[in-house]
Amino acid sequence: MVISIKNLTKTFKIKHKKEGLKASFFSLFKSHYKQLHAVNNISFNIKKGEIVGFIGPNGAGKSTTIKMMAGILFPTSGKISILNHNPQKERKKLSYKIGTVFGQKPQLWYHLPAIDTYNLFRRIFEIPEKEFKERLNRYIKLFEVEEIVHQPVRKLSLGQRMRCEMIASLLHNPQVLFLDEPTIGMDIIVKKKIRELIRKLNKEEKITIVLTSHDMEDVEQICKRLIIISKGKIVHDGSMKDIREKYLSKKRIVVILQDKVKEISLPGAELMYRGTYKHALEINTKETSLKESVKSIVSKYNVEDISVLDPPIEEIIEEIYQR
Amino acid sequence: MGLIKYLHIGRISFKNNLAYKTDFLVGSLFIALIIFILINLWQTMYADRAVIEGFTITMMIWYLVMTESIVTSPGRVIEQMGDEIRSGDIAQKLNKPYNYVLFHYAESMAKSAQRFVLTFLFGGIVTLLLIGPLTFNLNHFFPILLVVILALTLHFTLMALISVFALWLEDSKSMHFIYQKVVFVLGGMLLPLDIFPDWLASIGKSLPFSFIAYFPAKLFVGFNWNDFLILIAKQIGWILIFVACTIIVYRISFKRISINGG
Repeated sequence: MVISIKNLTKTFKIKHKKEGLKASFFSLFKSHYKQLHAVNNISFNIKKGEIVGFIGPNGAGKSTTIKMMAGILFPTSGKISILNHNPQKERKKLSYKIGTVFGQKPQLWYHLPAIDTYNLFRRIFEIPEKEFKERLNRYIKLFEVEEIVHQPVRKLSLGQRMRCEMIASLLHNPQVLFLDEPTIGMDIIVKKKIRELIRKLNKEEKITIVLTSHDMEDVEQICKRLIIISKGKIVHDGSMKDIREKYLSKKRIVVILQDKVKEISLPGAELMYRGTYKHALEINTKETSLKESVKSIVSKYNVEDISVLDPPIEEIIEEIYQR
Repeated sequence: MGLIKYLHIGRISFKNNLAYKTDFLVGSLFIALIIFILINLWQTMYADRAVIEGFTITMMIWYLVMTESIVTSPGRVIEQMGDEIRSGDIAQKLNKPYNYVLFHYAESMAKSAQRFVLTFLFGGIVTLLLIGPLTFNLNHFFPILLVVILALTLHFTLMALISVFALWLEDSKSMHFIYQKVVFVLGGMLLPLDIFPDWLASIGKSLPFSFIAYFPAKLFVGFNWNDFLILIAKQIGWILIFVACTIIVYRISFKRISINGG
């Protein structure tokens, strides 16, 4: 077992301020604290070579979990074992064996080309020069950043910077890679590219990957296994296929028509939104065929644009709760 | 082997800082302006006497050039480290095989070296033009360099220690402000401690802040080997005490870090 988590809990104390001048005055002497269970008694195991997605709405506890696994945060209670290390007690030892990318916290030196940071990491992680050069060249090719690594990081786009960040986390040949919101703030094309790279790393380099995202599509396209976390608790842990069959049977069809239509009608579909030109329908693919529905809309109406979407993650979680 | 890492951190930080060269230049020029004002101020004070508390005007101004250069060159360490600890950006440093505080030490010393040279150069030029040279024996260059490095190290250690309290306080700016003012007065940056009333001078001399500014600058304008040896012994002593405090406080407080963003 590469990762083993047992009854992990993290409680934050949050200063709680009451409203009003009087309360503000008294809070100078005595602060009230509220307990926040960011992570509440979760357990799971991850095997070598797995690629697991943590998904949940903002503030669900996914980043907190990842940071505890990397040894940066201390759990309130519970056990964590990463590659047979206790990350809190052996943070330094473990840091040679794991890689971390935080989408919102860059590690590259801002005013320097990425290659300078890589050379620094060679020293910090004590990577033999020959191995370093081999790995660097391979990743530069794989991530297609031949020219980019020689430009100051501040001049790079978000997607280019993320690719360079990922290389920085891979140079010391980690066995486990933690990716915290790797696609945050990126447009669809760049997201796609990053997802492809993550899949490749897992497949070709056999790196165990754990990633968090609040974007369902990220996880759907990258991960074979999915852990849904909400309010600090695991609400589902299973294969992607499972989830898709169980909860992703609903699809949203959004159409933009060229003519004004009062109401778009389709057998077996529920109307979600009605505008002048834009309409949204929801169907259950178990009962109604998606293909037929799209076909029927396109043949019946004068369609300018049509797209099929998954319901947002919040609704899936709500549905899981309801069952 | 381990220490080479920090040398490389210092080197890359040096390179990264070159992007801020205009900031550094302006900052150092500003100190030179302050030196210019101080020269005018002290010239009136020295109008009717040649020596004040053992300092001639030449010694006095060169003393101030030295204290200003030491105290201002590391920049806002408390704010930087404090904010990093509070905001959770520290995450990206904690997951590497190096010591967090030593990382910042290497970074800070690289910056200090750059700014010290600039400030001392500009302040020195102004002083040289308006007051004249200090009698300085070049044999004393390396001992003074050592004293300055130890002063900057002590300066950094104190600031690193204070930074941790950002975890409990909402704002690290105020901590930086208070520390700076203490060094200004009790450290002897603004005035040599000898000018204060005896009781205040002896308080200042027994606190660690005077080993950052007062003693190093006094040795610079009036060198003697005996004072030098006593000074570096005391500087090393203070550094060891505060390094120990820093290690203990960081060990305790890292468990309390809450990292923002999920």
